[in-house]
Amino acid sequence: MEVTDTKRQKKTYRTKTDSKKVRSKIWADRYMYLMILPVVIYYILFKYWPMLWLRIAFYDFKILKGFEGSKFVGLKHFKNFIKNPDFLQIMWNTLYMNILSILFCFTTPIIFALLLNELAAGKFKKTVQTISYLPHFLSMVVVVSMVKNVLSPSIGVINSMRKGMGKEAIYFLGEAKYFRPIMILSGIWQEIGWSSIIYLSALSGIDPELYEAAVIDGAGRFKQTIYITIPGIAGTIVVMLILRIGTLLSVGFEKVYLLQNPHNLAVSEVISTYVYKRGMINNNYSFATAVDMFNGIISLILVSLANKLSKKYTEISLI
Amino acid sequence: MATPWKKTKGERIFDVINIIIMCILTITFLYPILNVLAISLSGSSPVLRGEVSFFPRQFTVQAYENIFTNKHIWRSYGNTIFVAAVGCILGLAVSSLAAYPMAFGDFYGKKIYSFMILFTMWFSGGLIPTYLVIRELKLLNSHWALILTSLAPAYYIIILRSFFVNIPVSMIESAKLDGANDFVCMTRIVLPVSKPVLATIALWFIVSHWNSFLPPLMYLNDRSKYTLQIVLHNIVLEASGKLYEVDAAVHAGEGDMVIAQQVQNAVIFVSLIPMLIIYPFLQQYFVKGVMIGSVKG
Repeated sequence: MEVTDTKRQKKTYRTKTDSKKVRSKIWADRYMYLMILPVVIYYILFKYWPMLWLRIAFYDFKILKGFEGSKFVGLKHFKNFIKNPDFLQIMWNTLYMNILSILFCFTTPIIFALLLNELAAGKFKKTVQTISYLPHFLSMVVVVSMVKNVLSPSIGVINSMRKGMGKEAIYFLGEAKYFRPIMILSGIWQEIGWSSIIYLSALSGIDPELYEAAVIDGAGRFKQTIYITIPGIAGTIVVMLILRIGTLLSVGFEKVYLLQNPHNLAVSEVISTYVYKRGMINNNYSFATAVDMFNGIISLILVSLANKLSKKYTEISLI
Repeated sequence: MATPWKKTKGERIFDVINIIIMCILTITFLYPILNVLAISLSGSSPVLRGEVSFFPRQFTVQAYENIFTNKHIWRSYGNTIFVAAVGCILGLAVSSLAAYPMAFGDFYGKKIYSFMILFTMWFSGGLIPTYLVIRELKLLNSHWALILTSLAPAYYIIILRSFFVNIPVSMIESAKLDGANDFVCMTRIVLPVSKPVLATIALWFIVSHWNSFLPPLMYLNDRSKYTLQIVLHNIVLEASGKLYEVDAAVHAGEGDMVIAQQVQNAVIFVSLIPMLIIYPFLQQYFVKGVMIGSVKG
């Protein structure tokens, strides 16, 4: 008993000095707390409050009645979504778009960076680089407008060429089979230069002595690329790929929405556009939120897996 | 890596092919933009015959005259400038306030605070809940909805923090010995030496506000409040000329008005002008920003 008593005494003594220390530490950091105050308020209001609203996914939420007048329905909306005949189609469209994007939009910047790297440093290389970044800064509305220009049956350059070869003009935007190629090609056009930056910076980090040694060993430029350059950026490629896989179930809303029309809906409907239409146009807030949340949770799992993998392979991670 | 040694024949052929590929790519990058400009400056018959590619035919600035007298386009231009300017300045202020304690602070709750910000990179309330919150806050149909929903993104805060942590702490400690508090340290020491990263983030804010489409589509429903991208979308992609009283609209039957190609393209080009003006700064600072993000992200 005595022993525990002294222990307790010691403990209270320690917490007393501790709490004093804590208080003086908090006082010393008062400006820090003052600084984060607006930030915390902002994050709570605009980032965490919406997370609380996620619970409408479990209600039959009526906007005019509020929560009090809305019925709790549990997982009804989730079940409805999964049983929905559109479910598989939408998930597949989203996944397939990402697979295509990894096959083409992910790989082409690496090739572009390798080719740029083979150019002699100088004005030409700089100019090509600078121009290649330009499309990245255009808005989706502008990019889609340009796609519409270029592919137009009457004024577009592609159809002018076809007519020049004696072929019929095609209304590319009106046919479902062209939707994915248009998405991918315009994606490459817009991001190839920008995405290559990270590889170019990795390339500039390769030790020049390696190349000198290779030349002494009689390796030509092709062999240097195979044995030095590509291994030199392999780590970066792996990390970028892992991070890309983290976003395997998200397709950006804007471009798909802008390119969407009744002709290509079967292939173009993805989760983000489906959520927007169900929620904002049909005002089916609860169902749309359930779909979004379903997707968000899968994405969260994917991103954290990707982050773990990336940490395992390298020091670089999302956070 | 160009070698100083003699190139083999194969390597020389590769160099030539490589340069040709790069030239073709460069033309491909520029073509859609030049095409927009060329169409906007051409007469209607060569446009309709599909003869305009790189250069204008039957040069005319009529399309631009049409636009410059159109009050809807001007107003949306002003709206966008307001959102981008206020969003950039407020965003920089709040992001700096958020990043400074992360970089220099050693206070109770710092871990929770950092987690609170970083978690939003992984998970968010999503489209509808954010919309409902904006509605609760009575911000629907207000430009503040656009400004406040993207005020201090976690990614920007991380970029700022990773720049701040490279500033020697001794500078701040010695200032504190002289009686400066954290606000003074931030405004007098940290922010002045962080000009490059602040410029990067300022440009990020401006570009993202200038180009943003989904938020104004969701939050604005009054034509006088519309931002440029919405007007652009309506004029070019929905071709609803009536809505904007664009003069050069032509009838397409059924009472529909279709806007002439030249006017559509002139509107696109006008929306691009500010981006093209700041592009030299953009690409310089953005490249730096990508580097900071990739090395220390």
